Amino acid sequence: MSSIKQIPVVEAKRTNPLARVFDDLVRFCRSRSLFILHYCTGCGAIELPPAMTSRFDMERLGIQPMVSPRQADILLITGYVSIKTLKRVILTYEQMGSPKYVIGICSCTVNGGMYWQSYATAKKLDEYMPVDLYIAGCMPRPEAVIEGLQQLMDRIHAGEANSWEDYYRNYDYYLGNQQKLFGEDWQTPTDVISEAKHYDLLSNGTLGDHTRLLEQHQKPLEALEMRLGHEQKEPAK
Amino acid sequence: MSATELLIELTLMPLVAFVVGMMMVLMMRRIAAKLQRRVGPPFFQPLYDIVKLHSKRTQVSHGLIHDIGIVMAMGGYIAAETLLPVPGMNGIAEKGGIITLLYLMMIPSLGLALGVGQCANPNGSIGIARALTAMLAYDIPLVIVVFGVAYAAGTTNLIDIIATQQAGGFETWGVTQMPLLAIAGLIAMHASLGKQPFEIYIAPAEIATGPMVEMGGKYLGGLFVMQCFQLYTTAVLYVSLFLGGGTTWFDFLLKSFLVLAIPMSIAYLFPRYRTEDLLRLMWKWPVMLGLIGIAFVI
Repeated sequence: MSSIKQIPVVEAKRTNPLARVFDDLVRFCRSRSLFILHYCTGCGAIELPPAMTSRFDMERLGIQPMVSPRQADILLITGYVSIKTLKRVILTYEQMGSPKYVIGICSCTVNGGMYWQSYATAKKLDEYMPVDLYIAGCMPRPEAVIEGLQQLMDRIHAGEANSWEDYYRNYDYYLGNQQKLFGEDWQTPTDVISEAKHYDLLSNGTLGDHTRLLEQHQKPLEALEMRLGHEQKEPAK
Repeated sequence: MSATELLIELTLMPLVAFVVGMMMVLMMRRIAAKLQRRVGPPFFQPLYDIVKLHSKRTQVSHGLIHDIGIVMAMGGYIAAETLLPVPGMNGIAEKGGIITLLYLMMIPSLGLALGVGQCANPNGSIGIARALTAMLAYDIPLVIVVFGVAYAAGTTNLIDIIATQQAGGFETWGVTQMPLLAIAGLIAMHASLGKQPFEIYIAPAEIATGPMVEMGGKYLGGLFVMQCFQLYTTAVLYVSLFLGGGTTWFDFLLKSFLVLAIPMSIAYLFPRYRTEDLLRLMWKWPVMLGLIGIAFVI
């Protein structure tokens, strides 16, 4: 990793004296207003209602649940991720708006936990998408969940929680791991490479063997056919 | 009044409405927290949410109509603020009148319908269909109530309605003169806020917040701003119609917050009605109360 530090970094010139104040305000607001999208896959979900309701009340920290990926900042994955579930998790993650953060709760997201020997479970979540924070435990108490969220808040305020950029910078690595699990014809509706260009985050790790494989069989997305009622398909003869 | 003064008032009135509206959102969330024995959000939480949503890097637009829809949703209320007299500022309330105000208050729902339509999300379409149905439900009692008040005052000018109420103190207030209309108005106002038990078009557990499902970043931020304006407009309209407006900012704001606290305290104790139940309830009780109230007035 030492080679990364040798790359010269050119800081953009700041001419507006208020820009830093404004940036700090934005970072502060980002840290104090977090909308969570729960992806409740396993038993860890049971610790979230007490963390949200009257006993531990997450809303006093500005954290509140949201229901659709477009609205959310945090993707909270609470438990083991089976291979079938992981596809949905990745689709959800790619639909969320940046800056976005992923939190893995329970030891199952860290290393597979008690499902270590399972053939149908994805062991380490951070091989498939960048994870900002793990909250280990089986299951972690609501105090631990809130402690973890507070750490994330501090890191957002300090401007260090930038792992969403990592998904664009190292897309080839993540896509490779996904292809290993889902097969070579794996494709999501989101065009991650164009997004990386849009955010100016295209780097050496974005494109590689795996993205080339993706481009070979990538089908352009088409709108679903609009149809009224249920039409039974004729069985193939 | 000179043109400069008018321009300053037209700028100040929506700004004041926005700030007061944010405090109303805070009050709503604090009331919910207190009823559920929680601490509740910090004082500046509505501001944090709005700043954060506008500063998201990703802003997913689904097309031009989507953008325009959000602008319409906010703009309808911003235009409505200039027609609502507040202590010391009348804006263009004298020229607009209460009927224009009612029309302007319908624009946000229509704007949302346009914007959500282009998102092509089935949850959003169901949500907006329900929102327009709800509007049909609460607008009929609301129009009856507004007609009754205007008939009793003999004018559709909101400034005159407030002046007649303030003439004789508490005894000439709308709420003592026309108590039935005031009750009907309160129910209609509760439904127009879209809170439980009339929360049919948000319904997070069922249709994933309906119209807001595809909104992220500044689009959702725009809707948060719209909510501030919505709470302010509804509360101030009720205060102007029934509680004698405000002579000073203190009693004006006190009345607005108190009026809004009534539906908010009821809201978080109840689950949700179904759409047809909402329609049946709104067309039965507030309409009946309103019509009897009008009979007394005439």
